[in-house]
This record gives sequence, C-alpha cells and structure tokens, in this order.
Amino acid sequence: MLTIDTILDKEKLKDLYYHLVLTRTFDEETRKLFKQARFAGTYFSAVGQEATTVVPSFLLEKDDVVAPSHRELGANIGKGVPPKVIMAQIYARKTSPDKGKSHPCHYGYAPLNVITPASTVAGQIVLGTGAALGFRLLNKKNVVISFFGDGATSRGCFHEALNFAGVHKLPIVFLCQNNLWAESVPLKLQTALTDLSDRAKAYGFPGITIDGNDVMEVLKTSKEALDKARNGGGPTFIECKTYRWYGHSEIDPADYRPPEEVEYWKSRDPIPRFEQLLIEHKIITEEEKKAAYSKAKQDVDEAVAYAENSPFPQAEEALEDLYYEGE
Amino acid sequence: MHKVTYIEAITEALREEMERDDKLFMMGEDIGLYGGVFKATKGLQKQFGEMRVLDTPLSESLIAGASIGATLVGLKAVPEIQFADFITPAMDQIIQQAAKLRYRSGGSYRVPVVFRVCCGGGIGGGLYHSQSNEAWFVDQPGLKVVAPATPYDAKGLLKAAIRDNNPIIYFEHKKLYRSLKQDIPDDDYIVPIGKADRKLEGETLSIITYGLPVNYALEAAKELAKENIKVEVIDLRTLLPIDKDMILESVKKTGRALIVHEANKTGGVGGEIAAIIAEEAFDYLDAPVTRVAGPDVPAIPFSPPMEEFFMVSPKKIADAARKLAAY
Repeated sequence: MLTIDTILDKEKLKDLYYHLVLTRTFDEETRKLFKQARFAGTYFSAVGQEATTVVPSFLLEKDDVVAPSHRELGANIGKGVPPKVIMAQIYARKTSPDKGKSHPCHYGYAPLNVITPASTVAGQIVLGTGAALGFRLLNKKNVVISFFGDGATSRGCFHEALNFAGVHKLPIVFLCQNNLWAESVPLKLQTALTDLSDRAKAYGFPGITIDGNDVMEVLKTSKEALDKARNGGGPTFIECKTYRWYGHSEIDPADYRPPEEVEYWKSRDPIPRFEQLLIEHKIITEEEKKAAYSKAKQDVDEAVAYAENSPFPQAEEALEDLYYEGE
Repeated sequence: MHKVTYIEAITEALREEMERDDKLFMMGEDIGLYGGVFKATKGLQKQFGEMRVLDTPLSESLIAGASIGATLVGLKAVPEIQFADFITPAMDQIIQQAAKLRYRSGGSYRVPVVFRVCCGGGIGGGLYHSQSNEAWFVDQPGLKVVAPATPYDAKGLLKAAIRDNNPIIYFEHKKLYRSLKQDIPDDDYIVPIGKADRKLEGETLSIITYGLPVNYALEAAKELAKENIKVEVIDLRTLLPIDKDMILESVKKTGRALIVHEANKTGGVGGEIAAIIAEEAFDYLDAPVTRVAGPDVPAIPFSPPMEEFFMVSPKKIADAARKLAAY
C-alpha cells in the first residue's frame, strides 16, 4: 500500500507543505495589499487552488519548463521563484523579471524556465508544447508542465497543441485546473462534457480526473505523469477539480456563484486536509505547523518590503527590450 | 558565382544554415518528403531527418506556437506558412507571443523564429492563395518583416534572418519563385536586415517599393529612360524596421516619390512611407507623394481579367511615373 512518504521523503514533504503555506499566505496578503491600493491594476487570486499549482511544479527540476497562465502564483512558488521577485512583479517595479512591462499576474522567470504568460487564454499551452518538442529535438530528459483553466480547453489552439503532443508523444503534462468557472461562465456553458479529461482520448493519450484539493492525489498523479513523460512515455492530461475562493480578479465580486457552492469548496480546503495528514503521520507537529505560517508571513513581509523599496522603472524604459541586439 | 532561381536561393539558404547550426529546425505543412508545395524544402528532410524537417498536422497555430516554444529551450526555428492567406490562425501566436515575449519578459527571453510565408498574386491563385498581408505584421513592433525581391536578396536576407535571434516574418512572393534567375556568390554571404537597396540610380523621381514590384519598377524604368525620365528604384527589402534614411535621402534628391506595393492601398505599408516623407522631407517635395497599389477589395479575385486588373504592373508604374514627372 502506498504510504504518505513513499512518493517524497519526510523532509521533502515538509518542504512541499511550506511551499503550500507560503503560497496561501502570499496570496491572501496580496489581496489585502490590493485593497489598500498599494499596487496598480488588479490581482488574480488562486486561493483554494494551491494544491494543483504548487505540487506539480514542486516536482520539477531546474531545467524543466513551466508554461503558466495568469492564476499560477503557486506554480511559480513551487518551481522555486523567490517571493520577492514575484512581489516586485505585482508592484511593477524595475526589479521584477519583466522590469515593470507586463501585468501583476504575468508571472514568469527565465532563470527557472518559467515562461512569462500572455493574457490570451491557452496560448501558453502551445508554447509549452513547443518547449517539449525542443527537449525532444535536443535529446534532453526534461519535461514541461502547461497550466491552464477549464476555459482554455474551449480554444482551438488547446486542441492543436494536444493533438500534436499526442502525435509525437512529447514530454509534457497538461494540467487543467477545472475550477468550474471561466470568469463568470459556468462549465456547463463551456462544454457538454462532465469530465474534461475525456478530451484526451481524442488525442491518443491518457486523461485523468482527480480531486485537485487533495494534495496527496495531486502529488501521486503528477509524479506518475512527470516520470512517464521524462522516460519517453508521452503526455498526460490531468484534470484537477478545484475551486477559486474569490472572483476572477479582485474587482469581481463573483456574485454569479451560489454561496453554498463556495462554502462547499471552502470546506474542502486543500491545506488543512494536508496538514491533518502530515500531523497524523507525525511528519509535522502542531508547533511546526504554526512555525510554517509565521515563517511564511515573515517571507511575504520581506517580499513586500523589497518590492516597495524597489524603484519604478524610468518612463523611457518603456522603449527597451523590444529586440535582442546580440549575435 | 552560380545562377539560381528565387526559390533555389531560398532552398540553398535553408540547407546551408541547417548544416551550419544543428540547433536549427523547420516545421510546416507538406515540407518533408513532399518538399513543400512549391518545393522550397526539397531534399531537406532526406538530408536532415524527419524531426529537423518536420511535417505537421494542419495546424498553423501549432506551427507558430511550437516554433516559439522550442526556441525558449535553445533551438532556432524556421516554420513555413504554406500560404500567407492561412496565417490567420497563427496570428495569436505571432502577435501575442512571438512579438511580445522579449518585451514582456524584460529582455530575458529571445525568440529566434523565422516564419517563412508564401505571399502574393499573379499566378491564378484566387482570393485565398494570393494575399499580400505584410501590413498586418508591420504595425507590430517586436517583429521584423522582410520581403526580398531577387534571388540574391532572398538568400542573403534569409540567412541574416536565421542568424538574427528575433522573430521575423519572411515574405516570399510566389510569382518570383521561378520567374527570375540571377548569379549569386558561391561563398556564404548575408544581406543585412533593415537596409534598403538602391536598385537603380536616377534623378527625376524615386520609386520606393519591395517584393515583386521591384522588378516591375525596374522594367518600367527602362521604358521611362527612353523618355528621359530617370527613375531611382529603392528596394526596401526590410519593411520593419524600415530604412528611413535611404527613403529620405532618395526623395530629398529627386523631389518626387512614387510608392508601389501589391497589397491594397488602405492601411498598407505605402501609407507609412508617405507619412515618413511628409514628416521629414516635406520641404524637398516638388509633387504630391503618389501610390500605386492594389485596389481596396478583400483579396485578389480569381477570374484572369480581374486578377490582372488588381495586380501592379510595369505599365501601371510607368503611367504613374509619367504623371508624377510632369507635375
């Protein structure tokens, strides 16, 4: 029987737990900062969806690629992007990876192979597929995870990418966070399917639907899919059923959703479920749990201080970074 | 020196660059065993293998996006869009991803992709195999747009584009593929991107053009010379970035500008050139800036008399030049 520490050892599990807590803390703190108008634009919270982003990304190696969308704070934190870098992005400061050019939630970080996303939904799935093709051509044993929501599966380029990945058995995991709402449009108006993973059959590779709020299930499924991809077994489509607690962005009150639906999903919060498991298996203690939250708060506070003390870019820097000028 | 057609020049450039750089690959529809519908990639799959000369599904979005993605892990890509008319599904990837990725990553990613695009009319292709849609891309900073008119330039510009490390749209005019032969050097050479070429010196007026009409302008110039109208022909070669210096230098010398392109007049590249001249050389003008361009219909109609009516020709250019010279 699979026990909790047969997938990751105890230290790794503790580390994963910390990354989950850090993501939750970062996200909730950033929502507060937005409400205080400490940064411009809007913010796309992913509270409630931490398991589906942090866990698969946490399993990657440095040279592996993440092709995220805009709600993938956790994928960045899981990959190891420093919180201060992400916060500088949110604050549009010169010290951010894009030097203030793109949106607060266009998280990307080239040193760790996180591809900066665009707002055109599903475009990143095609880029991720291309990166996987690149690894194949370079004979590298690296893998790609492309993260996207349920809405993305309605776009043509999603289908083109999965079709191609199936043809060439590319080393990629398509990780769909089905949070039941594409902005304000419910799943039943996106698709006649109940399980989006059924789509994978059309592309000739496995599709799996899992409880995206169960860290252990996400861990097990994504580990298997990544190992398979790394060893030449081709792509997997993982549909994680999950839920975003708040609106599409912070300017959306999300009153299109029935309150009981929100309450149901809040009761399935992935983090306490995982905590309970870790405590039951004596991997963490109650004290360590408290310490994790207090360290996360400290890390986020430091990130905020870093971002707020970072300069804005000069206005004329808007004209930079258009072309690569070297050889 | 050896004599080649325009399409042979393209094939030579592709072969030599593939031999030179094993990180270079190409993908597209029918480019493999078949060698491309116009045979631009003839023999290349046999030489470089099925993955480096990759036949794709009918998926332009995938062709563009996967090419971009592959460059993010260290490859260089030369995808083929079989007909410019079919580039629309790839526009999302080209405009939103390729053109903006360097900018939105603060200069941390680069996108060395050359999109080879077969464009232009005059061969009975009808509405959907004749379009000259370069203007769609010329208003997108972050891209470079190249449109060679001769075999020499076709080879030299393609090699320069491949070595450039920025996303480039390379427009090949299909009527030129086999209608033109030229001696080109046996040794490796490049034609720099962003530099126009004075194809003919003259004093009476400047014809500013690119692609197929360059050759028509040179034909018209021979007739006009008999009437003592000495035409200067400027071949832009690169449309983005455009060689303003050469345009202005020529117009300041002749005082008259005739802009010629096959694409329809409204919103075309010609309007931009006219504006550059109006802004920076107004005081030098002896006559209104004049355009010879395709009529404003959606694309080139099929029936031969209508196609001929649409196309730019040496006669149309000569007629416009006479009027301009007499102004």
